[in-house]
Amino acid sequence: MTKVEAVIQTSRLDAVKTALQDIGVEGMTVIEVRGHGRQKGHTEFYRGREYTVDLLPKIKMEMVLPDDLVEKAVQAIAGAARTGKIGDGKIFLSRIDDAIRIRNDERGETAL
Amino acid sequence: MISSLRELHSSSCSLIRAKFLETLDGCSAIAQRTQLIDDLALRLWREFISEDAEGPSRFVLVATGGYGRSMLFPSSDVDLLFLHEGGWSDKESKDKIRRLSQEMWDLKLRLSPQTRAISECDRLDPNNLEFTISLLDARYLAGDRDLFARLRRSLIPRLVMREYQLIVEKLAEVTQARHGKFGNTIFHLEPNIKESPGGLRDYNIVHWLLLLSGIEKMRTSPDQQALISPAFREQFTEALNYLISVRCFLHYRHGRDDNTLTWEAQAEAASRGVGVEKESDISTEDWMRIYFRHARSIQRVAIQLLSEIPASRSSLYREFQNWRSRLSNSNFSVVNGFILLQQTGGAKDPELLLSMFQFMAEHGLRLGIATEQRLEQAGASLAGKFPKGGAFWKHFRELLIAPHAADALRAMHFLGLLNLFLPELAAIDSLVIRDYYHRFTVDEHSFRAIENLHALRRPSSEWEERFGEIFGELEQPELLLMALLLHDVGKGLPGDDHVKGSLEASWNCLTRLELSQADRDTVYFLIANHLEISATLRKDIFDHNTVEAFAEKVGTPERLKMLALLTYADIKSVNPEALSPWKAENIWQLYIAASNQLNRSVDQHTVHAGVKDENVTRLNLIAPALEKKVKQFLEGLPERYLKTHSPEEVLSHVEMANSLYHDPIQLNLRKGRHWLELTLVTPDRPALFAKVAGVLSTWGMNIIKANAFCNDAGVIVDTFFFTDRFRTLELNVHECDRFKRNVSETLAGDVDVERLVSQRLRNERQLPAKVKINTKIDFDNDASPHSTVVQVIAQDRPGLLHKMSSVFAHAECNIEIALIETEGQMAIDVFYLRTAGAKLDGPKQEEVRAHLSEQLSIT
Repeated sequence: MTKVEAVIQTSRLDAVKTALQDIGVEGMTVIEVRGHGRQKGHTEFYRGREYTVDLLPKIKMEMVLPDDLVEKAVQAIAGAARTGKIGDGKIFLSRIDDAIRIRNDERGETAL
Repeated sequence: MISSLRELHSSSCSLIRAKFLETLDGCSAIAQRTQLIDDLALRLWREFISEDAEGPSRFVLVATGGYGRSMLFPSSDVDLLFLHEGGWSDKESKDKIRRLSQEMWDLKLRLSPQTRAISECDRLDPNNLEFTISLLDARYLAGDRDLFARLRRSLIPRLVMREYQLIVEKLAEVTQARHGKFGNTIFHLEPNIKESPGGLRDYNIVHWLLLLSGIEKMRTSPDQQALISPAFREQFTEALNYLISVRCFLHYRHGRDDNTLTWEAQAEAASRGVGVEKESDISTEDWMRIYFRHARSIQRVAIQLLSEIPASRSSLYREFQNWRSRLSNSNFSVVNGFILLQQTGGAKDPELLLSMFQFMAEHGLRLGIATEQRLEQAGASLAGKFPKGGAFWKHFRELLIAPHAADALRAMHFLGLLNLFLPELAAIDSLVIRDYYHRFTVDEHSFRAIENLHALRRPSSEWEERFGEIFGELEQPELLLMALLLHDVGKGLPGDDHVKGSLEASWNCLTRLELSQADRDTVYFLIANHLEISATLRKDIFDHNTVEAFAEKVGTPERLKMLALLTYADIKSVNPEALSPWKAENIWQLYIAASNQLNRSVDQHTVHAGVKDENVTRLNLIAPALEKKVKQFLEGLPERYLKTHSPEEVLSHVEMANSLYHDPIQLNLRKGRHWLELTLVTPDRPALFAKVAGVLSTWGMNIIKANAFCNDAGVIVDTFFFTDRFRTLELNVHECDRFKRNVSETLAGDVDVERLVSQRLRNERQLPAKVKINTKIDFDNDASPHSTVVQVIAQDRPGLLHKMSSVFAHAECNIEIALIETEGQMAIDVFYLRTAGAKLDGPKQEEVRAHLSEQLSIT
């Protein structure tokens, strides 16, 4: 099993969700986050005051997938999240040892 | 023995359950379960403690809490007190108590046993108020009757009389905390019928407060029903019986002590007719309306009693109460924060009632129960007597902008009065919608949104401070508040698109209230677009195209402010977590980006012949004879001009432009709601803006806002909004003509305005600034395709606008567009400048910056 974490542009959430659903990924966690990579921040002046947004709003998606679905999911996320501009985001993959469904104690991939 | 008791318990519980499901009579079910547990407890007492039901001496079994009140719900805890007078702490005695308790647990009862010496009951532990409160409901079960009598007749009254103040204050404290947890409202989509405001816990509060007050005053347990006002006794009892039946139903349905009235439970309760006449066929929505009516009956008695608790008399509190009492006048008296009508006929006087609700909205008071009762009685006879149309709107808009408007609206709504004026709201009356995002009923959500907006006056976070600032700048906050009140009305109407429904209902409502076309358009726009910011936040809000498209849709800075505030208040009212800092920050970022876009792109879109514009079409419909002249006048004016002026104003400007060949300086002075307004239509000429600003300064006028536009024919339309600091024009009406003549003469070059301004400023006493504003001058050559945009932020002071515009005039810069605003002591001015028909190049910008800095430096 692999945990897929993707940090994407807020505006791409619906497209990424649809792309993942199309390849059979149903469960995911979505978190509103702030951050920046190379994109850095943004400054706006309003009435003489400076409003600096050094951490930009992003969406972080997390899901744990069976290994045979991981590559497809990565492609789906990258394809749907890409605008070609700086700030499109990143995908991180990490191994997961086990998963437990709290309701009935199922373990491993069946718990996903 | 235990097996026979288990069988008895199980079969009796089944019987009680079956009977309840057949009759839905909750009172009978809880009485029967109480009786059953009494019997079981007595048998076990005889088995393990004493064969004699009234023995042994100095030891007694007492039912406390809900069990003591004989209100044992199907899955409620059984509270037992083993009370002794010493001598029952040895191992053998403890073992007897343990065995009795063990047997009850084995019967699957949720037992909460406590063993106490009677001396321990005489002390109030502030950290364990529950124990003292549970004693108030103590009921004898078995054992020494004398010991119980000492507890009931002597110890409890003594304890209450000694500790009354502390007990009631603690009770009020825990109740306030509990109500706060539920957002201080009964109107939840899935209420907890025990803990929510208006639930059974509030009934308990009423019961305990009456008991405590009776004991304190009469040294004995009073007849509680007699202490409730006769007018509400019946409603209160009816509400209690209803809640008892619903709680029994929930316990049987969930199989445990779960008191949440979920959507599924609501639907089932409605179809079974729990708590209502069985024959009636009732929808889930209507069944919930009955729930809210009953919850409100309980809640209002609880709140009334809590407010009557004598506070521990801090001088500050006394002062506050005295201050509130001083609000009393010939029509209303104010007692403990409650309004009481002074005259018996007051409840039938519509004008008086409207001013009472306005009074409530101003001062954050509640209606006294007696007042509510009189209004309820007068209800039907009031229909048709209230002012209608524009007359009603005049009252209502003042109520909407008052700081406690939401409380007044809730009170009017509960009494059915709001629906008399705004029948559109009946569709969302206590309406539960199945939506996991929302927590409150649709009407409460709308009131809460209004409350959240007014709460911006007392900001408690960074976002609230920012949004609070723009709330304070609104010219017509009542329009935003009206939009909030009506924005979700469509949720109660047929159809899938609630926005469409809200718009249809609102249009009728606003027309009936005789709002002007421009005001109706604004409210309509806000309702139509109340989801627009949320939709835009799903796009990239740092992308210029997103911001530009959004700003274009919004059109004017005033509408942008209102829409941002509406979105803020709407989301915040969905549930306490809905407006995350992430979301608030994003709304703010979109707001400032769009605000800058609107101020810096004014000349990008201008009116030209052949370009279809809704506003132009409307003008042509209103005045078809003027179509050609309107077209000529508008040619080349920024679209912003059209969006910020009503058709009536535009037509008046057209007429002024048509009169230019009689008199080349056309002036119009009128008194607006907040300010005086001077409009000038004339052919453009050098230093024109500076001269008018100068004349206003010499008359001591404080310019709050201004805008200046120019069409392709070189005719300018400048409007100055100002306050008359010395009330010169108000107190001397004939001075208006001299004032206008002075403006004309100055523009004609007959008056040396520079000299007059210098004289005026020399004579004027300069007051030190309360807030220091640093001057900022910002040039932007990219924002506009034709002009250099200059934004100046500076300390507001007399003559400021004249000074700035004179600098531009001396540098031979023409003001194409000016957008002048004042926020507190800060002047925020944007000018679109051109020199010799082009943008300002670098050296020119530096020259202007240097002169401006010199002129604006505070000496």
